[in-house]
Amino acid sequence: MRCGPWGREFDRTRRLWSASAVAGALLSLTAAGPARATGPWFADVTHRAGVDRPHHNRQFDNQYASIMAGYTALGASASVADYDGDGFEDIFVTDSSRDGRNHLYRNNGDFTFTDVAEQAGVAAGNDAANASADSLWLDYDNDGRPDLLLVRFGHNRLFHNIGDGRFADVTKEAGLDRYANAIGAIAFDYDRDGFVDLFVGCYFSAVDIFNPGTPRFFPNSFEKADNGGGVLAFHNNRHGGFDEVTDRIGLRTSGWTLDLGHGDANNDGYDDLYVAADFGTDRFFVNNGNGTFTDRTAAAIGIDTKKGMNAEWGDFDNDGLLDIFVTNITDEYMREGNFLWRNNGDLTFTDVAREMGAYDTGWGWGARFFDYDNDGWLDLYVTNGWVSAGPESYVPDIFQLIVRPGVDLADVRNWPPMGGKSLSGFEKKKLLHNLGGHAFVDEAARHGVASTDDGRGVAVADFDNDGRLDLFVANVNGAPRLYRNVMPTGRHWATFVLEGTGGNRGAVGAQVRATAAGRTYLRFVDGGNGFAAQSSARIHFGLGAATRIDRLEVRWPSGGRETFTVPVVDRTMRLVEGRGAPLPFAPHTTSPRAAGR
Amino acid sequence: MTRLVLASLGVIALWPAASAQTPAILDHDPLARLEAALTADPDNLRAGNDYRIAIVRAAQYDRALAFFAALVAGHPGAANAHMNYAFAYVDKIPAAGAITRVILANNALNEFSRALELRPTWLGYYARGNSYLFWPRIFNRTRLGIADLEEAMRVQRADQKHAYHVRTFIALGDGYWKVSEVVKAKAMWREGLKEFPGNAPLRARLAATGKQLAAIIGETYDPERRVDTNLDELWTK
Repeated sequence: MRCGPWGREFDRTRRLWSASAVAGALLSLTAAGPARATGPWFADVTHRAGVDRPHHNRQFDNQYASIMAGYTALGASASVADYDGDGFEDIFVTDSSRDGRNHLYRNNGDFTFTDVAEQAGVAAGNDAANASADSLWLDYDNDGRPDLLLVRFGHNRLFHNIGDGRFADVTKEAGLDRYANAIGAIAFDYDRDGFVDLFVGCYFSAVDIFNPGTPRFFPNSFEKADNGGGVLAFHNNRHGGFDEVTDRIGLRTSGWTLDLGHGDANNDGYDDLYVAADFGTDRFFVNNGNGTFTDRTAAAIGIDTKKGMNAEWGDFDNDGLLDIFVTNITDEYMREGNFLWRNNGDLTFTDVAREMGAYDTGWGWGARFFDYDNDGWLDLYVTNGWVSAGPESYVPDIFQLIVRPGVDLADVRNWPPMGGKSLSGFEKKKLLHNLGGHAFVDEAARHGVASTDDGRGVAVADFDNDGRLDLFVANVNGAPRLYRNVMPTGRHWATFVLEGTGGNRGAVGAQVRATAAGRTYLRFVDGGNGFAAQSSARIHFGLGAATRIDRLEVRWPSGGRETFTVPVVDRTMRLVEGRGAPLPFAPHTTSPRAAGR
Repeated sequence: MTRLVLASLGVIALWPAASAQTPAILDHDPLARLEAALTADPDNLRAGNDYRIAIVRAAQYDRALAFFAALVAGHPGAANAHMNYAFAYVDKIPAAGAITRVILANNALNEFSRALELRPTWLGYYARGNSYLFWPRIFNRTRLGIADLEEAMRVQRADQKHAYHVRTFIALGDGYWKVSEVVKAKAMWREGLKEFPGNAPLRARLAATGKQLAAIIGETYDPERRVDTNLDELWTK
């Protein structure tokens, strides 16, 4: 018999295991439904769930407004985290209009949400000099509560999670109060000092686009633009603040960054960085393990001229190496094709998008790997569509600009206003089902997720903790879509909520390898990968027919490796660094409706 | 890979012997030697063709474009210099990004047009007409391509039969198909097969329907694929 604190915890753990086992069984029973076997596996519950507030584009109020309108149809984003620690994932959603309010949708636990942004103090994200573009949950002070970075064209805002449902603006104290046309951010601990650092992607250079003093702030090339905002890197000083280290750590770029994605490409314990850039070359930076990065673009992925929109990492072929999916523009008039970078294991990648069937997803935006059918293979959901407006196309207008000899593209005045025309609009979203790592086939129409909205961000989370991953899609100038996964149950799964103790508390960067039925699956905790979105930081394994996990190994951000014995599947469990055994996960809800589930 | 064979009745007759002059300094740079030959004889279609073949092998596309730009500036009336200039733009397309491809393709069309203004030939009509077929429908250029190819067909029907004339049947049929005139497309392909029995691309088109046919034509006009602009077939008996 064990004694002392460990013994008490063991007993408490057993009781919680029993309780959660019952809850899990009930969930499985209630979710099972043979009638759904042939129907769509996703149900659009946006309105019923109370998350249907539309996004509004920013209308600029300067002499270039009519031109800028077409090129700033951005800012619809969704970021997921359990900000209040009740066990249910919540969603922060941005608006971009001058008076638009951002939304913090608190999960009531019954697949309904309540917008608590005003009470929480995070609703005000837009004004004459700032437009919300994205957001990021990060526990920058390791207090166990996700804090919120509001990413803006203008000045970013960092909100500290106080813990009582409210947030405090700590931007100035944190050293982040500066102008940037920021469009995305991720956080991971690049130097493994135990605190997540911050990486901000900037689209335009640091020109005040609300009141530009020059007309020359548009991209100076369609394929090799080098006058964008690049990347800003901030080192976490462990005292509640950040120091800008972009140059010092070798991340100075001048591209039109649209997305950043991190992952450990060579399994050396240090996360590398992929920068997806519009109007030119994506960049691949290798983490040297000494607090610096080296630009290895040419050797790793080559010099491209495409329009990188999204940088998503995941091991789609289950070979133990993280691969990268990048959306580009593919339409009748411009066939760039996406990148599906298969990791060669030597810090080089091979694009297999065409042969894998992931090449053409239209004018791509956010994309996310996730195993929606719990078969153990990472599928992809891809949003797309630029501007869906009138029946006339903007393509001939932009063509006239392109072929004008000697045109100064950097001068916004040379770009034709889009007016009421469409450009790659009304495109159907893609749900690419992974066929055993050999090919992807689109199942979006079959499963009811092929909307024609102008999509931007995709956030994946299991909002009802039933083991089936749900989708939240942020659309510009329109309502988002919340798709509840109603797939018939049967396939097994396991979800893990990680907590680091030797490294950063959110365990960002942790790699988890689960072996079941002779196959090993790699998943990792990312710090906000995906354009205009952040998915759940929980690790989800679809296990197919496997009824147990034979081995579960975690490589923590601290560098430590730990093996866990997993007693059951079809359950969400907590993994705390150093504990050696999973802990039960016990969500609690205050919703009267949820109480009766 | 499908060869884009471009011929010209009048052009062949214009082909003189290449210059034998090879200064020692040029021996070290085969491209420079070919440039010297062209500079001495700007309207020489075959010399320009040989030069472009060497350029493609060396992937020195920008060098060729700069050379031809200077050549046509110095010899604006040399129709074949404009033809080769146009093909030099086409040669670079697969090596360029999606936007630059548009610019290159447009520039090629301009040069084909200039060559046609100076000297209307089967080659000019076929080349420009075929180029138009690569453009996405949204640019409304397919009809222009059909008009050029119909003109090329008119020219070739008045001429003695050449093996490369089969190209017009294929391309013109493709043009009709692209504007949904399927009956005319099939008639054109059938006529071509009658004239050139056993021609594989024509047989494939006539045997295919629906998505299969769309795939064949889509592959033919895929801008990412290199179009073989080697004109050697013009001079093959």
